[in-house]
Amino acid sequence: MVGWNMKTAYRAALAALLAAPAGAALAASPVLQAEQSDVATLPPVGAHWVLPATDRDSYTIYDADAGKILGTVPASILGNIALSPDRRTFYVADTIWSRVDHGTRQDLIQEYDAHTLALRREITLPPRALAVYKGQDFDVSPDGRWGYVFDMSPATSVTIVDLAKGAVARTVDIPGCALVFPWKQDGFSSLCGDGSLTNVGYAGDKPTVTHTAPFFDANNDPIFEQGLVDRATGHALFVSYTGKVYDVMLGAKPQIAAPWSIQVAAGQPVAGTGVQEQAWRPGGKQPFAWNRASGHLFVLMHVGPHWTHKTDGTEVWEFDPAHHTLVRRIDLPQPARGIAVSGDAAPLLYATSADGNMAVIDARTGTVRRTVDAHSEAMIMAPDLLPGHNG
Amino acid sequence: MPVSFLDTLGEAVTRRLAARSSRRGVLGRMGAAMAVAPAFPLLPVRRAEAAPAPAANPIATLTDFERRAQSTDPTKCNYWRHCAIDGVLCGCCGGGIHTCPPGTQPSPVSWIGTCRNPDDGRSYVIAYRDCCGRNICAAPKSCDCNTADREMPIYRPQASNDIIWCFGTASTAYHCSTAAIIGQAG
Repeated sequence: MVGWNMKTAYRAALAALLAAPAGAALAASPVLQAEQSDVATLPPVGAHWVLPATDRDSYTIYDADAGKILGTVPASILGNIALSPDRRTFYVADTIWSRVDHGTRQDLIQEYDAHTLALRREITLPPRALAVYKGQDFDVSPDGRWGYVFDMSPATSVTIVDLAKGAVARTVDIPGCALVFPWKQDGFSSLCGDGSLTNVGYAGDKPTVTHTAPFFDANNDPIFEQGLVDRATGHALFVSYTGKVYDVMLGAKPQIAAPWSIQVAAGQPVAGTGVQEQAWRPGGKQPFAWNRASGHLFVLMHVGPHWTHKTDGTEVWEFDPAHHTLVRRIDLPQPARGIAVSGDAAPLLYATSADGNMAVIDARTGTVRRTVDAHSEAMIMAPDLLPGHNG
Repeated sequence: MPVSFLDTLGEAVTRRLAARSSRRGVLGRMGAAMAVAPAFPLLPVRRAEAAPAPAANPIATLTDFERRAQSTDPTKCNYWRHCAIDGVLCGCCGGGIHTCPPGTQPSPVSWIGTCRNPDDGRSYVIAYRDCCGRNICAAPKSCDCNTADREMPIYRPQASNDIIWCFGTASTAYHCSTAAIIGQAG
């Protein structure tokens, strides 16, 4: 208060000093009124909102049309975020130490009100090792009932959380497998080290666990961790290091289509597994995005040999996965390590770079709308606004 | 103490295997898996089923990293042992190539890479141990490396460098990464 009063007094004195020589002309303008401090709230979640992970301590909510920050959701360097299907809640799954880097370990899901960003509730999780920086560590079932939290201790499991009750329902071991890809309803699948999927069904009773036969070459051409799921249908797209796309309808008995090559779709040479075999390849820390309105797949691409799956991309290629065709190649203003795309019919493409910039690009033309100094990490979330949920 | 137990067991197994392994050979890969096997009690069965013998690499060339690797400055990402490291180099943080900075604790388990030393042309098995218990080191960006020769997704954890390997330490806070030689690969 002292500081505020002194500052106010100083400003008043300065104003008086400035006003004095101006004389009668300024005296005629109305005196500015005292203001009440208040707190902003958020409008309903917009189609062009985007939440990059920022500065290792938060997700920042942007209105990408305006290029402005709307608010901040706290999260640690490894914390994951998800929006509830009814768009009323941001969930953050995180691990917090009572004394920053030591002390009591607290694993939890935090619920933030998507209108006020008030911390509404915290759900305690059993001890987990939050060991990896991936969006697929945590997700919410498309009906909003279950939260799926991937654990690695380093044995792997998934904790299923009843989000209505705000309590852990149970933990299911997924030995040899990792990450969560939610089904349309009551279950999720995980990628496994033998090139298969493990599928866990759970509707509140006893979980059922099934396994597919191996369907991809985990030794030589593994599929990226960052597979995409259409939450309205449970339909997933997984892409391999060399650019093969595996189309999977997730469920207790997943239906897996024969893979197609993004390079063939783009009229380019197929990428092999040679360590000196230069080709266009997918890569980055979050190399894929999916647009709900068109169903199109966006892939961050670069030229390099095999084992450059983490290399930043120089272009984004847009594909129609239903017809295995290239729609467009988009040049990026600078190499990017992560992408996301809005879900609407006038999609914006977001690309984050190593210097923390986030480019906002009109995905229909490739035009860069703006570049934001966002302090952005690689992970970036464009809210998936499921149809039929209006908050 | 679990740290020394896992360390000793993991390294002993790997050293024995590494001594008899050809580079990128079947045994080399099994060695990598077995080095972390104590930490993955549920994995080896599936791994055994899942790991058919990889064909010998028909392209007898080096990776881009191997072509450009140097052996003089271990605080640079292109130092030869950093062929598949993801993180901040401890040598930039008060530690060294196999030394954790003051106040931190080495992880008892790690994942394993195989890197080629340009000086002698030999390949060595490298343990990428994280140093844990303090928040991330604020070293220059040039010390923050992300290379990926033969690096695998998290569902192949023994070859995945995105994982923070601070399992079994007092705190899982990640500070930086080291690259210790644990034996010749062939």
